[in-house]
Amino acid sequence: MRTLGSWLAEHSIAIVSPLVLLAAWEWSSGRGVLREAFFPRPSTVAVHLAALAADGTLWSHLTTTLIRIGCAFALAAVLGVVLGLAMGLWRGLREGLDPVLAVIYPIPSILFLPLVGFLVPPGEIALIVTTAVTSFFLIAFTTTHGVRQIDRVVLEAALHYGARGWRLFTAVLLPGSLPSIFTGLRLGLGFALIVVVAVEIVSSSRGLGALLWLSWQILKVEDMYATFFVIALVGAVLYYGLASLQRRLLPWVQDAADR
Amino acid sequence: MSVVLPAVLLLLWEIASRLALVPPRYFPAPTTIGWVLVDRLATGDLGAALLVTLARLGLAFVLAAVPGVLLGLLMGIARPVRAALEPYVAFVFPVPKIALLPFLLIILGVGEPAFVLTGAASAFFQIVISTQAGVRTMDPRLLEVGRNYGAHGSRLFWKVILPAALPAIFTGLRLGLGLALIALIAVEFIAAKSGLGHLVYRHWQMLSTPEMYAAFALVGALGLAVTRGLRALQARVLGWQEESF
Repeated sequence: MRTLGSWLAEHSIAIVSPLVLLAAWEWSSGRGVLREAFFPRPSTVAVHLAALAADGTLWSHLTTTLIRIGCAFALAAVLGVVLGLAMGLWRGLREGLDPVLAVIYPIPSILFLPLVGFLVPPGEIALIVTTAVTSFFLIAFTTTHGVRQIDRVVLEAALHYGARGWRLFTAVLLPGSLPSIFTGLRLGLGFALIVVVAVEIVSSSRGLGALLWLSWQILKVEDMYATFFVIALVGAVLYYGLASLQRRLLPWVQDAADR
Repeated sequence: MSVVLPAVLLLLWEIASRLALVPPRYFPAPTTIGWVLVDRLATGDLGAALLVTLARLGLAFVLAAVPGVLLGLLMGIARPVRAALEPYVAFVFPVPKIALLPFLLIILGVGEPAFVLTGAASAFFQIVISTQAGVRTMDPRLLEVGRNYGAHGSRLFWKVILPAALPAIFTGLRLGLGLALIALIAVEFIAAKSGLGHLVYRHWQMLSTPEMYAAFALVGALGLAVTRGLRALQARVLGWQEESF
């Protein structure tokens, strides 16, 4: 067991460095070294953040964004894993879809907004579907990859022991591809956040992206910083929370995304 | 790669659009889009927009790659530097970089520097993280062998550390370029008045759908060229390295 003291000693620079930066920022913005109109003092931003939180504005935008991410992610995860497994198992489907996905996947999801708007009712549903697009492809890709990298020996052993159909799927294919699937889900969730902010900037009056853009348009710079801080916090929680969840659930896996 | 399924899909779309089974106003026939693409690419706004986007992408990539690789190497080698900077990189890395756009817009004004820097920021953090991970996860035996053979300082860096980290650096650059493209297209869609992203937005607003799809397809081709091209380059230059996906 490490003591608190040794932990502090090891991470001292990592703790001190942001504090020093905040202090320097506070000082130079107060003295006019930095223009306060562009770089408001951290303490002022904190006051604005507290005010946004107190009158409920922040919570309503935050929950809107989180619900959108949740719906888009659920949609992308279910469809992506199903398609990915199917592509991993059936060679014909994989080779047929490969060129289609290769062209569609690198297109930034924000561009799907007009297209999705033609297909489904515009508004909330179009927004969620657009947010799901890139995550969906990403999850489908990593799942396919996961099925395909299962050791041939394991697969053949299972076949020799008489595993077929559903049994083969639940006992071998799914567990074997789980690490890849999880990595895909994690990256997909990150992309959902990126896209939802962009889509909210373009087409919504609610959500954190909309709040950020509105604050810029009416030059409420302190609110901009406060909103950015909340977006960054959501990103950090999603990213590092899922990474630690993956380490806990699948401790034997060396993460492909960390390499 | 098989071309049968894509060809069948395009054919079905063509027929459905020609027979008005789907509204042709929203889903024009692929041949119509193809014709617009060819026509506008050579002489019209499509070619010009492509050049604008490419110029922004190139500039953003260079602005991200040079400091990104240098900082990543420094963070990988020097422990205090890593400890001091890691909190910022870790905090900003998962943030959608499009959220930086309003800050750059008020500080730099509405214009190219703000647009390009948003794209550069998107690539920069990916490149830093991949590079420093490449240095830190290199086989320690390589370092020891290098030291035992008398390599120190700059010699150790050039002969051992840099070659060992090169695959990770290249992966970082490749992912970074893709992220920069995503961010730039979003910036063009949202704020810029030129480039392929803006073209999609404008033709969407005017409901000139063939032009919209043509610009859309061009972005897809650009994305494909960027991702596949760099991957092929990586396979050729760093042939000894296996990559998962």
